[in-house]
Amino acid sequence: MFADSDSELNQWLEMLRSPDLSDRLVAVKTLQHLGDEDALEPLIVALQDESCAVQKLAVTALWELANPKAVPALVECLVSDDQEIREEALSALGELISPNHLMLLLEALHRNHLSMQLSVLILLRKIHDAQSLPYVLPFFESENAELREAAVTTLRYLNQVERCQPAITLLSDLNDGVRRAATLTLGHLADAEVVPALCQALTSDPDWQVRRNVAKSLAIHADPKAVPALQSALSDKHWQVRKFTLQALQKTPDDHTLPALIKALTDEYSDVRRDAAIALGKLKNPAALNALQQSLDDPDRDVCIFTQRAIQSIQESTPETSNA
Amino acid sequence: MALATQRVDVPVIVDESKCLEKCTACIEVCPLDVLAKNPETGKAYMKYDECWFCLPCEKECPTNAITVQIPFLLR
Repeated sequence: MFADSDSELNQWLEMLRSPDLSDRLVAVKTLQHLGDEDALEPLIVALQDESCAVQKLAVTALWELANPKAVPALVECLVSDDQEIREEALSALGELISPNHLMLLLEALHRNHLSMQLSVLILLRKIHDAQSLPYVLPFFESENAELREAAVTTLRYLNQVERCQPAITLLSDLNDGVRRAATLTLGHLADAEVVPALCQALTSDPDWQVRRNVAKSLAIHADPKAVPALQSALSDKHWQVRKFTLQALQKTPDDHTLPALIKALTDEYSDVRRDAAIALGKLKNPAALNALQQSLDDPDRDVCIFTQRAIQSIQESTPETSNA
Repeated sequence: MALATQRVDVPVIVDESKCLEKCTACIEVCPLDVLAKNPETGKAYMKYDECWFCLPCEKECPTNAITVQIPFLLR
C-alpha cells in the first residue's frame, strides 16, 4: 500500500518537472489535493517555475500543507511581479507565520520593495511583538502614504506598546487614510498628549471619517478632559461623528452635557437618538426625564426600547422621583 | 414535434480550449459526481444536470476553464 502511494507520488513529482506546462499544472494541482508532506521540497522548487499559474498553485499547495518550513520561500513570493501570487502568498503566510519567524520578517522589511514592505507590515500584526517597534517606526516618515498607513495600523497590534510620540504627529498627515488609521491607533496609546491631540482633531479635521475614528478612540480612553470637545462634536454635520461622540460620552457622564444630549434626542438619525437616550440613562439626571418621556413615541423601535431603559435607570437611581 | 431529451443550457460551462486532458481536479471535487471526461475529446463536461452551484469545480480548475452559471434567483 505504501509502495503504491509512493509510486503515485513519484509519478506526479516527475510530472512536475515536465517541460510541458499543462503537465506541470496538472501535477501541482494533484499534489495540492494529495497533501503529502514529501511533496514539500518539490513544491518549494515549483515556486520558481517560469509559469505564474504553476507558481500560484504551488503557493496554494504549500498553504494547505501548512508546514512552517515553507515560510522563507513564501516570503520571497511577496516580491513577485504577479499580483495574484503576492496576494496568495500573503494569505498563506497570514496563517503559517509564528513568533519564530519574527527575525525573518524584520529582515525582509529592510528590502527596498514596496509590496514586500506592505505585506510584512501586515504580517507583523499577527505576531504582536513589541520588538518590531523600532523597525516599524521609520515607515512613519516614508514618502509613500500606503506605508505610513500600514505602519501606524501595525502599531495598534503590538502588545505592550503604550507610548509612541511619532504616532501623534501623523494626526497632521496630509493623507486622509493615514490620519484615519492614526486616530484609531491613538485610542490604544497612553501618552499624555494623546487625548488633547485627539480633541483637537475631533473639532478641526476636515475628514468626517477621521473625526468619527477620533470619537471611537476617545470612547476607549474615557477621559473626562475630552468632554468639552465631545460636547461641541455633538453638533458635527455628519451623523456617524455624532453617534460615536455620544458613545464616548456614555463612558464619561457629565451633567454639563445634558442640554446637548436632550437636543440629540431629536436628531434626524435614529442611531444618534438611540445613543443619546443611552447617554442620558448613564447620566442618571432626573432633569432628562421629561425629554425622555417624549422620546417614548419615537417612530424607531430601538429608540423606544433604549429610552424606556434610560427612564428606568434614572428612576432607580432617584427613588423619590419614581414615587412622585 | 420531437421532445428534447437533453438540456443544452447546463449550468457548468467548460471552455474546452483551456481544459487539460490529464487533469481531473473538477471531477474529483464535485460533491455530486456530475462531471465527467468526454472519452473522445478528453475534456471535462457536465454529464448530469444536477448542480448545487457550490463552485469548487470553478475554483479548483487550474486554468480557469470552468464557469458556473448561477441562476439569478440564487445569486
